[in-house]
Amino acid sequence: MEYFQFLIIIIFSPLINGIIKKIKATMQGRRGPGILQPYYDLIRLFKKDMVISSVTSWIFKATPYIVFTATITASMIVPVITTKASLGMMGDVIALIYIFALGRFFMALAGLDAGTAFGGEGSSREMTVAILVEPIMMLSIFTAAISAGSTNIARIAQIQGIFYSPSHILALFAFIVAIIAETGRIPVDNPDTHLELTMIHEGMLLEYSGPYLALMEWAHYMKQMLLFTIAVDIFFPLGISNNTEFSGIAISFSAYILKMLFIAFLTAFVESTRAKMRFFQMPSLLGWAFVLALLSLLTYIMMGK
Amino acid sequence: MEEIYRKKGVKIREHLNEQYIEVSRKDFKDSCAYLYEKKHSVLRLMFATDERRIDNSFRIYTVFSIPGIDRFFIIVLSLKDDDFTFPSITTEIPAAHWYEREIRDMFGLIPKGHPDLRRLILHDSFPANSYPLRKDWSITETDLREWGEGVKQKEPYNFMEVEGEGIYEIPVGPVHAGIIEPGHFRFSAVGETIVFLEPRLFYTHKGTEKHFEGMSFFDGIKLAERVSGTSSFSHSVAYCMAVERIAGIEITEKAKGVRTLLLEIERLYNHIGDIGNMCAGTGLAVGYAKGAVLKENLMQLNDRLTGSRYLRGINVIGGVTKDVFLQADAILSTVNDVTHGYKDSMRLLLGSASHIERLENTGGLSKDIAQKLGVTGVAARASGINDDIRKAHPHLLYDRLEFESHTMTKGDVFARMMVRAEEAECSISMINALLENRYEGELSVEVMEIPEYSSAIGYAETPRGSVFYWVMSDNEGRPFRVKLRSPSYCNWPAVPFAGQGNIVPDFPLCNKSFNLSYSGCDM
Repeated sequence: MEYFQFLIIIIFSPLINGIIKKIKATMQGRRGPGILQPYYDLIRLFKKDMVISSVTSWIFKATPYIVFTATITASMIVPVITTKASLGMMGDVIALIYIFALGRFFMALAGLDAGTAFGGEGSSREMTVAILVEPIMMLSIFTAAISAGSTNIARIAQIQGIFYSPSHILALFAFIVAIIAETGRIPVDNPDTHLELTMIHEGMLLEYSGPYLALMEWAHYMKQMLLFTIAVDIFFPLGISNNTEFSGIAISFSAYILKMLFIAFLTAFVESTRAKMRFFQMPSLLGWAFVLALLSLLTYIMMGK
Repeated sequence: MEEIYRKKGVKIREHLNEQYIEVSRKDFKDSCAYLYEKKHSVLRLMFATDERRIDNSFRIYTVFSIPGIDRFFIIVLSLKDDDFTFPSITTEIPAAHWYEREIRDMFGLIPKGHPDLRRLILHDSFPANSYPLRKDWSITETDLREWGEGVKQKEPYNFMEVEGEGIYEIPVGPVHAGIIEPGHFRFSAVGETIVFLEPRLFYTHKGTEKHFEGMSFFDGIKLAERVSGTSSFSHSVAYCMAVERIAGIEITEKAKGVRTLLLEIERLYNHIGDIGNMCAGTGLAVGYAKGAVLKENLMQLNDRLTGSRYLRGINVIGGVTKDVFLQADAILSTVNDVTHGYKDSMRLLLGSASHIERLENTGGLSKDIAQKLGVTGVAARASGINDDIRKAHPHLLYDRLEFESHTMTKGDVFARMMVRAEEAECSISMINALLENRYEGELSVEVMEIPEYSSAIGYAETPRGSVFYWVMSDNEGRPFRVKLRSPSYCNWPAVPFAGQGNIVPDFPLCNKSFNLSYSGCDM
């Protein structure tokens, strides 16, 4: 059972995106596409032919697979409904962050590979964001890791109680900002934009089409759900099962669904009510988040909780 | 003005508020410069005609208007004896630079002394030495096909290059990621900062001006209505006005009332839609959706009033086809509803710090540059130029209506939004004021005869700025030449200046704040 929990991420990640889109549409007074639309989009893309620029190298063709498998590997490390993580002993939270970084590295290379202006722009912006986001993520997770005495996410999830210390709350806020930046959402990036000059994540993908694009999109959905999952594992593990008994799993699964819906709602709410930030202002938001993360770590060290 | 009149060989002809001043080649530049520098006049439009059929000459017309005087001063230069050059006025009057290049492309008349003689309207694949607006122009099948395919470079276009350490070029378009009109932009940037931007437009050349020639005056309305979707009605008002002025007819009070009312409704729906559209530039989805809903309400009102969402089919030469005042209650109730919604959404936008922060200090256009380039409409008023055709050359009922033309000084995106917001409120009060009165008269008067080879200007203030139609009749009761100048044509050259110094991701917002049409400036 625990060996297959990562399948939840693979299967349901497009659904989460569909739900976020639906909530956003409702907030804007539109009907919006159905919540299954991301699946239809993926199916459609898988059926399509590809157009690949003749100047691209192997990197362009390898990247979709690397990104996709890296994301699946990452999801194997993360406990979804039971803390008996599939491959929990194989990697911890640091490994996880670097598996993400691997995917991002190749994505940025692929953005540059075709030699188009927007790919390069997207890559350069993505790396700028990444440099700022990585330390935030590290520090906020470290706060939780130190209090749990382990960098293993499953272990953190087991130990984290219902009561929150100040350091956890600070770390949580920092982590939320990091998630927004990592998933390419407003106010950092606009996932719905058609304005190629403003794109970050989409800019890198502009050259992709057909099945490759489907893999990249799917990987992006998975990464989004994974980050949400890590957030609930570390900060709200309430309800997560520590064994693989049916009753525990059932409770854990329903708690998980509720948590995901809550996060989806929160994401849609932030995205609907805020305008995208000016690109050069973004470091100040991320800098602010970094200070929060640092404070949370200091608070923990000084106060011991 | 006496200085010009006293010159040798000057012929003056008056027609309504148009004064045609025919000068010699040697005085042309001085006369234009005099009007521009001494009288602070605005270059409204500049164009050429091929009148070889009449008296074997090409003519260049430059139309100026002096602030505070309801009169157009039109300096006319005749080019005879196969000398296809004329003195360029671009160095004195920068606003003339596109007009002169257009004349070069379309008539093959060379503006001598123009600093930039690259092609403007015709693209690389269009055959050399082929000038479409000449009356004797023809094109071979092969040339036409190759032009359409755009593969062969017949007259290459060299983009300007910026050299320096760390400068790189970003070519954008003409095919964009979104479904928008085609336009090519070449950014030279250092990091994310725009150092220089060169647009290459005119991908949608449809030969509109050429089409007018030989159509009937009546059919011309349909074409004018379709030049620019967002300002269909303003275009047809300006076109009809030009033809009515040639024919020497005065439309009735009723027709004036209907035209004024619908012009303001058109302004209102555009301004509200444009303010919403700016939210798409900043990613504020709710603001965008609200703007779209309000705009849709007004467009449905248009549909109920006239049978056309874009107010087409209402104008005819000599008046209008429908008395929309009969539906005054429907207009009032929709406009009231929209006003409430609009005020709510403005409160939301102005209360959103993240949205306003993006608008302020983005895409600033200085008054000096705006003035030099002859920018018009919202963009001009946001930069502090108080120019509004409704005030400068009062027509229809505008001399009787109370309204202000709002100006801001900073010329940034925020200023352009606020000018729109204030004008929208102004339009709402004008609509209310118009509906309170009764207007007498028939819907339209009959046009008996259109005198041959005579011309007149028609104009209107579209939501984007002033539109001008200069129409000349031929001896068979058809248009001989129609020059149309849309506001986008004046404002496009200003967009690169507004973009300079901004960061690349802010350019789309900047561009949206001008909201110019690509097709609407490509005649």
